[in-house]
Amino acid sequence: MAHAEHAVATPAILNEVKPAVLPRAVLVENNRSFSWITEKICGIIEGKTPAWWWVCFCIACLIACFTVGGITYLVSTGVGVWGHANPVNWAWDIVNFVFWIGIGHAGTLISAILCLLRQKWRTSINRAAEAMTIFAVVCAAIFPVFHVGRVWYAWYLFPIPNSNYIWQNFRSPLEWDVFAVSTYGTVSVLFWYVGLLPDLATLRDRFEAAGNKLRSFLYGLFAMGWRGSNRHWSNYEMAYLILAGISTPLVLSVHTIVSFDFAVSLLPGWHTTIFPPYFVAGAIFSGFGMVLTLMLPLRAIYKLEDLITQYHIDCMCKITLATGTIVGYAYAMEFFIAWYGANPYEGFTFINRAFGPYAWAYWIMISCNVITPQFFWFRKVRENTTMVWVLSIFVNVGMWFERFVIIVTSLARDFLPSSWGYYSPSVVEIFTFFGTFGVFSVLFLLFIRFLPIMPMAELKAVTPQADPHAGHDHH
Amino acid sequence: MSTHAASVSTPLVAPASPASSANKALVIGAAGLALTAIGVVVSSDAHGVAMSYLVGVTYWTAITIGMLMLTLIHHIVDASWSVVIRRQWEHWLAAFKWLFVLFLPLLVFAWLKPGFVWPWMDLNHELHGHGTVGTDVLYQKKAGFLNLNMFTGMTLAFFGIWVWVSARLRKASFAQDADGDVKWTFMNRKTAAFGLPLGALTLTFAAIYWVKSLEYHWFSTMYGVWFFANCVRGALSISVLIMLWLWARGDYKGVLNTNHLYSAGQLVFAFTVFWAYVTFSQYFLIWNANVPEETFWYNLRELNHDGTTNQWKWVGMLILFGHFFVPFLYLLSYKHKVVHAKVRPIVIWILGIILVDMCYNILPVLKDEHGDSLPFLSVNLVWVLTSVAGVGGVCVWAYLRSFPSTKLIPIRDPRIGESLTHHE
Repeated sequence: MAHAEHAVATPAILNEVKPAVLPRAVLVENNRSFSWITEKICGIIEGKTPAWWWVCFCIACLIACFTVGGITYLVSTGVGVWGHANPVNWAWDIVNFVFWIGIGHAGTLISAILCLLRQKWRTSINRAAEAMTIFAVVCAAIFPVFHVGRVWYAWYLFPIPNSNYIWQNFRSPLEWDVFAVSTYGTVSVLFWYVGLLPDLATLRDRFEAAGNKLRSFLYGLFAMGWRGSNRHWSNYEMAYLILAGISTPLVLSVHTIVSFDFAVSLLPGWHTTIFPPYFVAGAIFSGFGMVLTLMLPLRAIYKLEDLITQYHIDCMCKITLATGTIVGYAYAMEFFIAWYGANPYEGFTFINRAFGPYAWAYWIMISCNVITPQFFWFRKVRENTTMVWVLSIFVNVGMWFERFVIIVTSLARDFLPSSWGYYSPSVVEIFTFFGTFGVFSVLFLLFIRFLPIMPMAELKAVTPQADPHAGHDHH
Repeated sequence: MSTHAASVSTPLVAPASPASSANKALVIGAAGLALTAIGVVVSSDAHGVAMSYLVGVTYWTAITIGMLMLTLIHHIVDASWSVVIRRQWEHWLAAFKWLFVLFLPLLVFAWLKPGFVWPWMDLNHELHGHGTVGTDVLYQKKAGFLNLNMFTGMTLAFFGIWVWVSARLRKASFAQDADGDVKWTFMNRKTAAFGLPLGALTLTFAAIYWVKSLEYHWFSTMYGVWFFANCVRGALSISVLIMLWLWARGDYKGVLNTNHLYSAGQLVFAFTVFWAYVTFSQYFLIWNANVPEETFWYNLRELNHDGTTNQWKWVGMLILFGHFFVPFLYLLSYKHKVVHAKVRPIVIWILGIILVDMCYNILPVLKDEHGDSLPFLSVNLVWVLTSVAGVGGVCVWAYLRSFPSTKLIPIRDPRIGESLTHHE
């Protein structure tokens, strides 16, 4: 790992006292120049479409067809084609919704919060994380929209004044979800788009210079007349900061409301006060898991090691470890309070989770979400990108199982033993969910191909040569 | 205040001993403790005095835990701007051993007079209309956790861990001043790595044992998070006061700049929002579910047995506005975070309102013959004030006693340069 020689200017007194030396890692390695960064990122878009991209795109499209087929069959037949039956009338639809929305929340959460905390290392991952957010929200939206059955009535969810005398249930957190997720989706797109402006303008100018008028026109259209003037930058920085400020509480509120979907009920295993922060921690956990899953292959394919350095991977692994441990704390606290509360139904639910018919799912969840991230304590693991990538997959799997465990185990065995059941998904559900990975991949591949995967302007600002004090004493 | 620390000279030597201030703190502490002790003996409501003492000890222990957590978080994230403040947190950690000593009377009472503080320790304690603790099925189910041996052992373990982790942090940091070896930084990172999970667990179970178990029928998975929010918020407020004090004394001139105060103010603001988020979530989910086994805890803090409202309702409103809305709106302003005369009152207000929050969680366990909580504005409040002054005086004394023992700031910390030139 490379280090900055003089990351900051030093007061004269420190030359006298000689503090311990521990240089900070540089965020762009090998002293890469501004033009190198531009060429590297733009080259991904400007170069010939690689064969692997077409292969992946075709496979992703094929996988996406499973979702299209699944929902087509559902719409033409009815919601009964899903595996829902008493007592489990809410299962993979909401599990998949929360899974995708968790990943969706994490992207902007990562980007906005790291921006507010002035974590400069975010620049290498924030663009892809924000893109991931938007695509994940698209995947998430599929499930509640089609779960309404007659999808052409989905607009009933919106309180359009006096339409058909419909009065939405404003006391339901599901209705709050409609407002929260749609607001969040809008702000996330804006946040992402504002960040893209300078880079779109760069692409416009480069395509213009290369004589590609169509692409120059299209990038120019979306660059909204960006010329990089001082005034533009000033407005841009302010807008970006404001959007980060809006996004942060918004994203926290959205995942809090998702946790309310369950916590406001009286069902054992759902009604617990720690759900809001626990869901938020889980979202960050799954978000970093997904960012690692996506960025590590990109890093290898496009040889981005100088931009996504070992330091970036270290940071992401450590946050995954921290949030995984927080999630573990929440699991432990739920279990402990289920016993301490001495409510027999609550106690049973947790024993049932760990040792009942869904114990396999519970222990997958514990293994993936609590045990797996503990490997990130070890530097050797963090420095082995293959290992990190495999572990990130486990995190994704574990977070899906977390939602499955919470939702299905509580419903399958509720207060009345006579109504207990065992839920199994139907083929249609499996296909629909499987296909969403294709939908997500298609969108992400298009993003890689047509938009800069890293914010070039921001990356340049964190290079050692952009530091005005670099190599000089403070004055 | 300057925006850049251009010349730094004071950190080269240990700061002047604030001996007279330390003595004053000790006198205040001793007087507060003595008055509280007298209260236990002469008051007709010794139980109330003991509960007030629990408020005092819990309040200052929470703040000290907050200092510990801030120090650990500082090391784990390799923070830079807070290096110049970290030394004061380390000095404050010297209070842990004295807090343990001050907790001992509560443990002694627990053994000699079970139920005197925590009602569940007395199996013959009358539950209003529900028999005794010993015959209470809910207690019987929890007895494996709520018993005197476990309580004592866990309390000893909590303090043991806090004292031990604090000692490691202080030792490494102070040693680096002498030899400038980077190994001490790595040692503190390791301490932070295991200290944070340990700190999270110990503060959670301390909150459950010391505070939540007072109404042992009640439960909430959020309680540890709520306690953590108050711990850190209190510690940050004290930190700001220390920064202002050291600036006024002249020690921090050339060391601290406006941006340090701004960053500290932002953290106070962030934890204001975090506290509100946690507290609202807990209240809302319980209110919305409306299950009697949970709502009774809040009902006790609002209603008497005949349906009339009690004083605690207004304390709750005070907490709602004073703990959240007032500091939230006030701290939105940049000036209110950095101008000494403006930031001082708000952090003092926050420290006061955290005390009210502790009272809200602890004192309603004092009940009359109808099972209604005794009013907030009662003679018990006097004992709360003597206890807070007593325990607080000792904590401040412990801090000031440690203060001249080493350099003002960790002058050889590898991030000291970044901290001294901290900018936005």
